[in-house]
Amino acid sequence: MLRCASREFGVIEYDTSTLISFPRGLPGFESERLFVPIEREATKPVLFLQSLVSPDLCFLTLPVEAIDPNYRIALSVDDLNVIGIAAEADKSLRCLALVCAGEKGSPTVNLLGPLVINPETRQGVQAIRDDSDYSVQHPLFPGPEAPKCL
Amino acid sequence: MLVIRRRAGESLFIGEGVEIKILEVGASQVKLGIEAPKEVTILRSEVRETQQANQAAARQASPELMAEMLKKLRR
Repeated sequence: MLRCASREFGVIEYDTSTLISFPRGLPGFESERLFVPIEREATKPVLFLQSLVSPDLCFLTLPVEAIDPNYRIALSVDDLNVIGIAAEADKSLRCLALVCAGEKGSPTVNLLGPLVINPETRQGVQAIRDDSDYSVQHPLFPGPEAPKCL
Repeated sequence: MLVIRRRAGESLFIGEGVEIKILEVGASQVKLGIEAPKEVTILRSEVRETQQANQAAARQASPELMAEMLKKLRR
């Protein structure tokens, strides 16, 4: 087991075979390519993505199905190539939405650009669509006054 | 905001080095060609929004918010 430092979790042990790689990084974090996935019983279904090289960088993500069971995204051929999938292949992929704590304790999730991960190669890409109705800042818990999404 | 009407095949310039060509006008999409110096960053707006959202997401949630979030998610 190897070790890396995390501000959130202290020193964590990981196996290189569990790392998730983003060959293109993430927008705004282009040089961050490798992340340690951390799932804790106490915080399920949250999946933390701890940067391997930046102890301060730990993203909080949720599986999209925990937010919207009917969530669908069409991936571009380009994005599929990044994670090593032929366009016509029928694969089950992991799809994670990044959680943003939000200003007034009202967290939002990015459903327009989820992290899509090929579980076989453990390669991921932030798949940003321009033809989707989802939002970059989808409220995780719509308030009572907020208009209901249909 | 400056509004300019252009047809396919026409173009416009921004400053010295940037030219934007209207290549194709479809029913729901417009295809643009952009000539710009290498040092000019060109980003689709949704990529720029994602950059900003990622940067905001990198600021971590407080333990209180985390606890409340989990409570709601598990209900």
